[in-house]
Amino acid sequence: MEGVAMKLPSFKSLAPNAISIGHRSFSRVRRSSSLSVFSAASSSATVATSSESVSLGHRVRKDFRILHQEVNGSKLVYLDSAATSQKPSVVLEALQNYYEFYNSNVHRGIHYLSAKATDEFELARKKVARFINASDSKEIVFTRNATEAINLVAYSWGLLNLKPGDEVSLTVAEHHSCIVPWQLVSEKTGAVLKYVMLNEDEVPDVDKLREMISPKTKLVAVHHVSNVLASCLPIEEIVVCAHNVGAKVLVDACQSVPHMVVDVQKLNADFLVASSHKMCGPTGIGFLYGKSDLLQSMPPFLGGGEMISDVFLDHSTYAEPPSRFEAGTPAIGEAIALGAAIDYLSEIGMPKIHEYEVELGKYLYGKLSALPDVRIYGPRPSESVHRGALCSFNVEGLHPTDLATFLDQQHGVAIRSGHHCAQPLHRYLGVNASARASLYFYNTKEDVDSFVVALADTVSFFNSFK
Amino acid sequence: MAAAAMSCAASLRLISFKPTLFASSVQYPAKALILRPLKPSELPSYRRTIITFQKISTGTVRPPSASSSPSSSEDVQPIEELPPKLQEIVNLFQSVQEPRAKYRQLIFYGEHLKPLDPQFKTRENKVEGCVSQVWVRAFFDDQRNVVYEADSDSSITKGLAALLVQGLSGRPVPEILRVTPDFALLLGLQQSLSPSRNNGFLNMLKLMQKKALHLEVKGEEDSSSGESLESSFVPTPETNGGASVVDNDTESKPSFVEDLGAEDSDSGSDVVALGGRGKRIREKLEKELNPVELEVEDVSYQHAGHAAVRGSAGDDGETHFNLRIVSDAFQGKSLVKRHRLIYDLLQEELKNGLHALSIVAKTPAEV
Repeated sequence: MEGVAMKLPSFKSLAPNAISIGHRSFSRVRRSSSLSVFSAASSSATVATSSESVSLGHRVRKDFRILHQEVNGSKLVYLDSAATSQKPSVVLEALQNYYEFYNSNVHRGIHYLSAKATDEFELARKKVARFINASDSKEIVFTRNATEAINLVAYSWGLLNLKPGDEVSLTVAEHHSCIVPWQLVSEKTGAVLKYVMLNEDEVPDVDKLREMISPKTKLVAVHHVSNVLASCLPIEEIVVCAHNVGAKVLVDACQSVPHMVVDVQKLNADFLVASSHKMCGPTGIGFLYGKSDLLQSMPPFLGGGEMISDVFLDHSTYAEPPSRFEAGTPAIGEAIALGAAIDYLSEIGMPKIHEYEVELGKYLYGKLSALPDVRIYGPRPSESVHRGALCSFNVEGLHPTDLATFLDQQHGVAIRSGHHCAQPLHRYLGVNASARASLYFYNTKEDVDSFVVALADTVSFFNSFK
Repeated sequence: MAAAAMSCAASLRLISFKPTLFASSVQYPAKALILRPLKPSELPSYRRTIITFQKISTGTVRPPSASSSPSSSEDVQPIEELPPKLQEIVNLFQSVQEPRAKYRQLIFYGEHLKPLDPQFKTRENKVEGCVSQVWVRAFFDDQRNVVYEADSDSSITKGLAALLVQGLSGRPVPEILRVTPDFALLLGLQQSLSPSRNNGFLNMLKLMQKKALHLEVKGEEDSSSGESLESSFVPTPETNGGASVVDNDTESKPSFVEDLGAEDSDSGSDVVALGGRGKRIREKLEKELNPVELEVEDVSYQHAGHAAVRGSAGDDGETHFNLRIVSDAFQGKSLVKRHRLIYDLLQEELKNGLHALSIVAKTPAEV
């Protein structure tokens, strides 16, 4: 679904001494060169005919009240969206609205409220399907989050289809949620996990992965965009490789769906998972995309109401997908709010969001790598290599915990420190932990500048002890 | 830039950071720097979840529920209850207003922490739940005070570890066990006290207290003093009279601990008048052990949930006692044997509702 096509000013043309006037409403960045005028066609961008163009980040900030606060005496600079994103007011309103006006259990009732709730819930499912270009909304299973979705595949598809000696291919850079379920299931089935390491560009070695995929491989489970390395895997290629040997592919799209156009038809993946809370939606809801015939063949995961057809004392028959995999009362309000988040993102337009983030991500990378003693993980950005808008890094002689603590306490900058649920990757890189700054479309160039200034201050503070 | 509104007469200027300032002991009247009430309702009542001992060398026993002094917050441990060095540290931090200077101070402590030999960086010594790596080692000195060593790869965590090491080292087990993490609030470092998996500071303190307790327990198996022990998690198999030491979980209260090992010269005031059982205990011990000194203190009221009321009449209320006995009868007997002797004498009581005894048993020569 195309968003509004607007021409964004690129950062290169911004004057270095650009002033931003507050963040309460949208701030305007002064530029000396001529500007392109764009027309605002969506309700979220209320700048109509201003002769100054405003960056996406500045434009949308008014929708995110949480960003307008002070922490520890400094303005909040939120750079942890890879952990969880902030939510625009429309999403919060949708959730509130649901509870205030039509809260009711879905699929079961006949009365007006339950019909309305069911309609909205199923509409949200359609929105998700459309967002990733699934062929049918029945291919969308609502889960608690991406982790649960992967576990669903592991326990439902995995237990049925994996036999002793079968191989599951992973990369060393996977999130724990795409490692542990496979470990659990391979213990039960006798399947073997194989990992591909990083190449010299600090990206999972796709060539080695190709070699590793053999007739023994039954599943390839990989991330789309890495939450540590910011690298992007060529999913289409990998899928072709895997399908050639009859293996299925599961794509962990947690860091891609929120940030760029993801088209499951193009990717041709068999399974794809994502979490709502990373894409401006509430926590407590996520989804699994699975090809129809695949889901049809899979046994239930959790048992209970909703997923049954008929229940007898000694056996039950099960519903068709997706209901088969949605036991119990779902997170109805949350699903509807996720739908609202998708509407919000779509109005801005995923291509535009992606374009903005590529620029801002490059800016972040540039400023960060210019600091001495900073080591950023993952590939260098180039014409052919687009990084995600995040940087995991370490500063020589400074523990990431110290860094993050000081940044928070002294500067109000929120980053993450730790292993980011990727311990094997960190072990491979030879570090215990790293710091990570991650951006989303509501961050601005000023956020990056504040971060870099704060980081320099932090480094010099700790260096003073040496 | 000295903060404008420093409440204490701070001749302590920390702009130029001179290490010598911290080497000297800072003299502050402790009460002048008593904490501001820190939203008592929000603080976890940590006190009730850790092992309660009382009667340490200094100060009077403070019942956890009552709070008579208006300046101290009911749920936050008063500063006077902290080991002396820890009090000093807290005072020092309170005198420094500027956050950066506080951090400098903290990191300075860390930098001057005695390095921990790599052989002690074991799994057993690792603090759970730290994003950084922290190890803590504990052993007894020859006076059965706990000595700590620690290390961390993160400067701030190392600083916190150093505070704890400095503040708690060389102190006897019961005193260490009484410390609650509340004092961290007084440092003004915005140290969170929420008991989450990631709270390194909290977990550090817990591990240090757990290790102290284990040293105590392990020490009972060891009849020769002067041997330094590493704390281990193997509980002593030797228990008596239906009471046992719980050592798997620092949250639970052990109902019985042997020989507090404290060199206390305390006032021994019987805060609570002895009820029937207390009197019987006293009589028995006097008769059988012919002690030079004997103190029997009823501390049942300290144990919440035991339905014990201070000084209540009737045996039901008398469940926990502290005993201090100095007698020749202990001559030539190991610690374990001494305690066994006492239990044997009090068999009857132990069968009938006496829950626990804290015992100090010495010969006249040892006092």
